[in-house]
Amino acid sequence: MNRALRAALAAGATAAVGCFVWSSWLPNSQYAPVEISFAVVGLSFMVAGIAAWQRWPASRLGLLFTIIGYLWNPAFSGCNASCPANVLLIGNGSRSAWNTLGTIAALVGLVITGIVLTLIVRHWRSARGWSRRAMIPLLWIAPAVGAENILTGSLFHFPALVTYALLPLLLLAGPVLFVISTVRARTAGGALGTAIVDLEPGASPGRLRDALARALGDSTLQLAFQQPGGAGHLDTLGQAVDRSVAPIAGSGGTVLVYDEGLELEPQLVKLTAAAASMALEHTRLQAEVQAQLEQVRASRARLVEAGDAERRRLERDLHDGAQQRLVTLSLALGMARDRAAGADPELEALIDSAGKEAREALTELRELARGIHPAVLTETGLTGAVQALVERSPVAATITAVPDERFPAAIEATAYFVVSEALANVAKHAMADGAQVTIRRRRPGRLVVEVSDDGAGGARPEGSGLRGLADRVASVGGVLRVDSPPGGGTRLEADIPCP
Amino acid sequence: MQSSAAILIVDDHDGFRAFARVMLEADGFTVTEAATGAEATEAARTVRPGLVLLDIGLPDFDGFEVARRLAGQAGGPVIVLTSTREASDYGARITSSPAAGFLPKDQLSGAALRRFLARAPTGEGRT
Repeated sequence: MNRALRAALAAGATAAVGCFVWSSWLPNSQYAPVEISFAVVGLSFMVAGIAAWQRWPASRLGLLFTIIGYLWNPAFSGCNASCPANVLLIGNGSRSAWNTLGTIAALVGLVITGIVLTLIVRHWRSARGWSRRAMIPLLWIAPAVGAENILTGSLFHFPALVTYALLPLLLLAGPVLFVISTVRARTAGGALGTAIVDLEPGASPGRLRDALARALGDSTLQLAFQQPGGAGHLDTLGQAVDRSVAPIAGSGGTVLVYDEGLELEPQLVKLTAAAASMALEHTRLQAEVQAQLEQVRASRARLVEAGDAERRRLERDLHDGAQQRLVTLSLALGMARDRAAGADPELEALIDSAGKEAREALTELRELARGIHPAVLTETGLTGAVQALVERSPVAATITAVPDERFPAAIEATAYFVVSEALANVAKHAMADGAQVTIRRRRPGRLVVEVSDDGAGGARPEGSGLRGLADRVASVGGVLRVDSPPGGGTRLEADIPCP
Repeated sequence: MQSSAAILIVDDHDGFRAFARVMLEADGFTVTEAATGAEATEAARTVRPGLVLLDIGLPDFDGFEVARRLAGQAGGPVIVLTSTREASDYGARITSSPAAGFLPKDQLSGAALRRFLARAPTGEGRT
């Protein structure tokens, strides 16, 4: 709508309103209240039409409402007798002129009704979603205008209550629906923001589409992706898109495919595309963070596995190297002592002493190797390894359950170190009479290691020992829980994912 | 001809085998050596030793597997598992194997082996 037309329409509307106010000014007016209500109907069409035309320039609805409003007021805002005039300055004439005018208005109204109905039928066939809903005022106003012309246009005569009371109310629905449409468009903008805020982090493009579709009330809304080579877009089902599209910034060629009715709301489409862009960017960033987190987790798991492998290698090296040599040395010293026996008591005692030193060195080396990596874990899995820990525990410990199956090395090592560290803590700090070890599959995919004692409790999870153990459990994706109320014993539970 | 004085030492450590041979031959045993599980099963078939001193850690099969194969032979030898580690490092695998027992390497002696032979049921480890 250009500026001159807008000015002309505004001037016409202002004149009509002024005329109406002047005409209905009580000291001058000879209007009945029902006639005032008819004038209000006409003015409402005029104002709503101009506003709609301004808001939705591409729509014919605003134009039609404006025309109806301008035709209405000349016909029905007249004073019949003494007041100045209606907008076209007709209507102060004789009764026959007034009747003629009424008949003409009725015929014009019928023509408008015909035009509107034709437009409705044509558009309704092709429209969907927003387009159809945008036509609701049309649906209402077309029969209403027709009915009005029939009822008041001098073609028929109906009771005054129907003609002057019910009909204005019926006709007011058209402009009111326009207002509702406007409010709905604004509400959609607000709902859009809410939908984006409520969208869970990292939501898939499918969920984003659903949220946008709900917010806009456009069930046909789709996300589509640019075809390789830039030749059009494909929707999520791989079908070529032939509807209205709006590019989503920073999405690598993704577009919004929306109902053509939304073209009446270009700002809303832009807002939707911007919201989609932000949501997709958020999803992308979320995915990036998730991927980086996964990389860190995998890296930590690899570091722990590499550490375990290195410990196994070190234990094997000690076993194959230093321990073998000490064994041979110990045996040789034993043989030398036997041969020296009786011949040289001093030499015999010296060799015996050397043999003892060699055996003690061997014992210490075995303990060292076991601390580096328990061979029994490699040899027998958790069953034998936990049994060995329980047997060596200074505090009486019992095994409630241990699965008789092998798990991945990292899982076995983690479970073993949990039991080992827990039993060591029981011996050092708990002042307990006994401890219990339970390892079982709590549900598919989880291995739960539990060590409890009847000691003094009060263990601090933030202490370096338990914190290190928690890190170890976390390295395989598990969680360590410590329940240690003062005086109530300690219960340590590692919940570890396992195949 | 199976003899209680014939010992088969199975160990991949040359130094240990050599020293054990000296020690056991000094104690009156006849010693044969094998460095792998495959060699052990072959030597047991040809030499028919009365006792096999079997290291658990071997390069091809572990000692438990070799013990299972040797035990399958008719009138099989007394099998004594050995290692530089302790018996507890192998949990129940030792008691559930067909071996007569476990002897830590640093406690090897002719007397210790004779005790295993003496405990062996009649027909096992003897002609």
